[in-house]
Amino acid sequence: MLVFIARRLVVSLFVLFAASFVMFVLAANVGDPLADLRELPDDAQASAIAERVERMHLDLPVYARYFLWLGAAFTGDLGTNRQGQDVNVLLADAISATMQLVVAATVLAIVIGIAIGIISALRQYSGFDHSVTFGAFVAFSLPIFWVGVLLKQYGAIEFNNWLAQPVIPPLVIGVVALLAGLAWSSLIVGDRRTRLIAFTGATAVTAALLAFTSLTRWFADPGLGPVTVAISALGAAFGFSVLISGPKPNRPMYAALTAAAVGTVMYFVLSPVLDAPNLATIAGLAVTTVAVCVAIGYGVGGVLHRRNAIATAVWTGVFTGGVIFVDRMLQSFVSYSRSVQGRPISTVGARTPNYEGTFWELTLDSAGHLALPTMALILVSLATYTRYSRASMLEVMNLDYVRTARAKGLPERTVMTRHAFRNGLIPITTLAAYDFGTVIGGAVVTETVFGWRAMGHLLITGLNEADPIPVMAFFVVASGAIVIFNMIADITYAYLDPRIRLS
Amino acid sequence: MTQSPIPPPPAEEPGKVLDGAAAVTEAAGEVHTARTLEDTQGPTENEILRVENLSVEFPTDDGVVRAVRNVSYSLREREVLSIVGESGSGKSVSSMALLGLLPRSARVSGKVLYRGQDLLAMRQKELRSVRGRKISMIFQDPMTALNPVHSVGDQLAEAVLAHELVPPKHALERAREMLDLVGIPQAAQRLRSYPHEFSGGMRQRVMIAMAIINNPDVIIADEPTTALDVTVQAQILEKLLEVKDAVNSAILLITHDLGVVAGLAHRVLVMYAGRPVEVGTTDDVFYRTRMPYTAGLLGSIPSMTSAYGERLRPIQGTPPSLINMPTGCPFSPRCPLADDTCRSSEPPLAPTDGAEGPDTAGPDAGGVPVAAHLASCHHWERLAETDDPTAFFRNGGITP
Amino acid sequence: MSTPENTPSGATGPDPDSGASNEAQGMNIAARTQWQLVRARFFRHRAALVGMFLLISVVLLAFTSIGYGPLPGWWDKSPTATGSLSDGGNPTLSLVPQFLGGSGLALGEHPFGQDNVGKDYFALTMKGTQVSLIVAFVVGIVATVVGTVLGACAGYFRGWTESVLMRVTDVLIAIPLLAIAAAAAKIAGQAGIFYLGMVLGLVTWTQTARLVRSSVLSLREKEFVEAARSVGTSSARIIFKHILPNTVGVIIVSVTLAIAAAVLLESALSFLGMGVQPPDTSLGRLITDYRSAMSTRPWLFYWPGLFIILIALSVNFIGDGLRDAFDPRQNRVRD
Repeated sequence: MLVFIARRLVVSLFVLFAASFVMFVLAANVGDPLADLRELPDDAQASAIAERVERMHLDLPVYARYFLWLGAAFTGDLGTNRQGQDVNVLLADAISATMQLVVAATVLAIVIGIAIGIISALRQYSGFDHSVTFGAFVAFSLPIFWVGVLLKQYGAIEFNNWLAQPVIPPLVIGVVALLAGLAWSSLIVGDRRTRLIAFTGATAVTAALLAFTSLTRWFADPGLGPVTVAISALGAAFGFSVLISGPKPNRPMYAALTAAAVGTVMYFVLSPVLDAPNLATIAGLAVTTVAVCVAIGYGVGGVLHRRNAIATAVWTGVFTGGVIFVDRMLQSFVSYSRSVQGRPISTVGARTPNYEGTFWELTLDSAGHLALPTMALILVSLATYTRYSRASMLEVMNLDYVRTARAKGLPERTVMTRHAFRNGLIPITTLAAYDFGTVIGGAVVTETVFGWRAMGHLLITGLNEADPIPVMAFFVVASGAIVIFNMIADITYAYLDPRIRLS
Repeated sequence: MTQSPIPPPPAEEPGKVLDGAAAVTEAAGEVHTARTLEDTQGPTENEILRVENLSVEFPTDDGVVRAVRNVSYSLREREVLSIVGESGSGKSVSSMALLGLLPRSARVSGKVLYRGQDLLAMRQKELRSVRGRKISMIFQDPMTALNPVHSVGDQLAEAVLAHELVPPKHALERAREMLDLVGIPQAAQRLRSYPHEFSGGMRQRVMIAMAIINNPDVIIADEPTTALDVTVQAQILEKLLEVKDAVNSAILLITHDLGVVAGLAHRVLVMYAGRPVEVGTTDDVFYRTRMPYTAGLLGSIPSMTSAYGERLRPIQGTPPSLINMPTGCPFSPRCPLADDTCRSSEPPLAPTDGAEGPDTAGPDAGGVPVAAHLASCHHWERLAETDDPTAFFRNGGITP
Repeated sequence: MSTPENTPSGATGPDPDSGASNEAQGMNIAARTQWQLVRARFFRHRAALVGMFLLISVVLLAFTSIGYGPLPGWWDKSPTATGSLSDGGNPTLSLVPQFLGGSGLALGEHPFGQDNVGKDYFALTMKGTQVSLIVAFVVGIVATVVGTVLGACAGYFRGWTESVLMRVTDVLIAIPLLAIAAAAAKIAGQAGIFYLGMVLGLVTWTQTARLVRSSVLSLREKEFVEAARSVGTSSARIIFKHILPNTVGVIIVSVTLAIAAAVLLESALSFLGMGVQPPDTSLGRLITDYRSAMSTRPWLFYWPGLFIILIALSVNFIGDGLRDAFDPRQNRVRD
């Protein structure tokens, strides 16, 4: 295994060198780096050109400039752009901006995409499956910059206008409720009666919820409150235990319920701590939550159910923690919204310039700026995960060992989780790892549409100015990520599949 | 064939069964003698599984595939019933249908009565308690039937834990005992191995261990040796007979290989184009063949006793498409005896004369003797008239 | 050509005695070639048929309306002529019939509206569609030819040929697609749309090469290749006569995927200002040119976007239909 990794590392390094040479040569030839100076009046032209030739080493052939850059890059110095700015400094800012954008988007796309893909596979040929398939095809065909502009128009400008008077028109309520009803009824297995009940129930509940939020102007001052927190914690406890250990009351379910109850109590107990936290507090609380839930699961589970009980307790605890976090964040919504003139969803940049506020307000500010570009990125990569996990699941579900598992008399839930998912998700894990590598390069268009000064900015200004140095800075990070994550993909695959791990 | 009716032994503790089985393993280790059916306990009078008019259809883009049509048979405790047929004859599909393991698109009709309860009418949950505990299965290809990402021990223990609430450690211990029983050396260490670390024959032993781990009443073995080397085939079949005695179960042996059937099955059911065409005790079917298709199959087996230079007598042609079934006897296009009657009407599965043996007299619940010799042929009398029915297939099947 | 899986059951086997009577009993289904089967399956795929219809419609509309090169079209306005604005440049296309309160099905003077200097936007969109289609098809063909040849060689020859080719592929994959495509497009964009297409094809063939290689890797171990090799057939002949015809499904599907991806890549590059250069225009270029008009003249933004989606979606549907037609796993029935 170690030999395998070492060999991969060496090969990857050579690949990176070759790739960097190709990129440098291309970037150095995209145009005339002196074009803007040639329009200067004659007297200023000569000295300006001389200065830039000196700074960019234009008197040297391309390969010599490449080795100059490479030599410096080894010492950690990525050079200066043609205005003389230190690219290392530009890069540091760009990386942090891009990371904020792509990490959340990719993680969400993976989680949501795989979930939708699996459900779609389990309900093959249902109305839900057909809609998902069609939706995925549309998403595959969407130009992201076009979607981005649409989102800016409707997700930000129009939405912020609407927030001033957040009343949902009855027609919208009706249509959304009907759609929700259809979605639920197509997910339920059963005869016509059960599906009709599901349809009516889902429609009614959705309509009531929307009407309630509209009447109370909930969107003007969104918040969850202790009752909602408690209800979602309980719901999560039931949901996770049904998923993990089945619908009968048993120890894992008791563990989950305990975790939910502890979470709800903590909502009140921790209230003063959460008034003015910082990132460390939040991280500490998250770790504590997991630890406490493991303990609950261990204690309640007993010898027979320990594994499942720990799983249900931890999932429930983490979910409840998330709900509490959102609740606290939303409590600051009104003050934040007021400080940005009632336009919380932003279209440009990573944060409101010169904005000062509490931890929660700053979080909301980030969220408001991340919302739209994240949505655009998710929309586009969601489709890949949905299609891929659906196909992978369908393939695995017809394999012999899944039939063996069924023939053993395992419940369908166990057949699916232990045998189908476990195997079907191996290729998706590698896809996800690979995808993480490419998102930095793939987010360029989105960053441009939403005016983020991030990695894409380096690439585009570099190419427009025929200046290879910023382009190479982009390259080092983006290609480095591709190569490293490709390697991680291979290693995960080997780790998850014992046939490779043990050979 | 010795068929002394022995009353079913009282339900034994798993441990006790294992002791007996361990003794068998030891004995087999000392002097390797080929075990045959005669060495095992014969069937009782008690019917354990009864299949009535089982039919399976698959809707496809090209039309409805009628994979299984009106299959009926019964299986007694400790009996070995073999279903024989070419690929595409519906033998695997019919066995998969018993436990509801076919893809969702399959349309299954008829009855599958296990101790009087209809498995096809059961709810998923009830059916689940039968699968793997009362009726277990061994699949054809041991290379793909085991999950590559879980250890063999986990997969065996899982079969126990699916039906009993015991600590995982106990289930693993049982798994080890089973691996011992099926003759896997160093069972305790092998529990942690993954399927790809076993050879094909060893994997099939693991599958057998999995099939018997809950002491089932019926083991369905779906071509258990087809994917294996010839040398390993015999060992696996022997092991199958051995464990049959160890857990006192009946076996439904699905195969395309008549050679396998000869020493292993009490009774044989021959299938062609989705339906049974001849049913009877192994001796009856082999020595008093009453259906030309069976005769054709027998003629296709190379024999040690045939004269030098004598040619095999294979059946010409291929089985019919299961989508557009011909109107008459489905075998008629390939049959040397076929005439216009055969091409216009499909013969029913009816009793013939060719039955011998003590069971003939004992009627089963349906009124047809369990060991009656049934065949689906308009002209079975013509086979009864000759000593060597395979002779009909001489000269490429041209009727003399 | 026909692999075992693709031979319909019940249609094989010599049966000299009863051939005639078999047919009368429906025993023989007429043997169908693989192409006939593929065609039959493709025509059963409704989405693919709709995609096919849409794509042909878009191609015909784009090329007949304003004509191409010296050939004249039936639409009387040119994409370059400016003019006076009528009705503020609003689209005159009407799809709502009169009995529903609309003004009937009518094109009007400027069905897609006009831009701020009075150019007819229908003609402009058609021009952009032409360019986007041409670039996409050139990319698709170049990428597929290069990818297929390199993939087939890598898969067939193994040894150092494979190592070199795969390392080249690795190098290309290691560079973010958008970065290398943008740089290449910036170099070639000035030279015209065909060069642009070719250059983009030369940087996007890696996926096809990988697919073809893995398909060839499994095929080269098959008996019929061994047989061909044992009688001394040349490598080139084995690759082109025995192996590639069996990977035709993989190749055709990857053409469609490459074309769909190329439509989006070209429009994204043009949007960034690195693809198609003036005086040429493309759908992506139109969007970026009129991006700021979103709030005042939204139609300038909608039409090219709709056409990009239309093209990409129909090509994707066709690709899906082809994949199902070549690899019909869903109607496999096992015994």
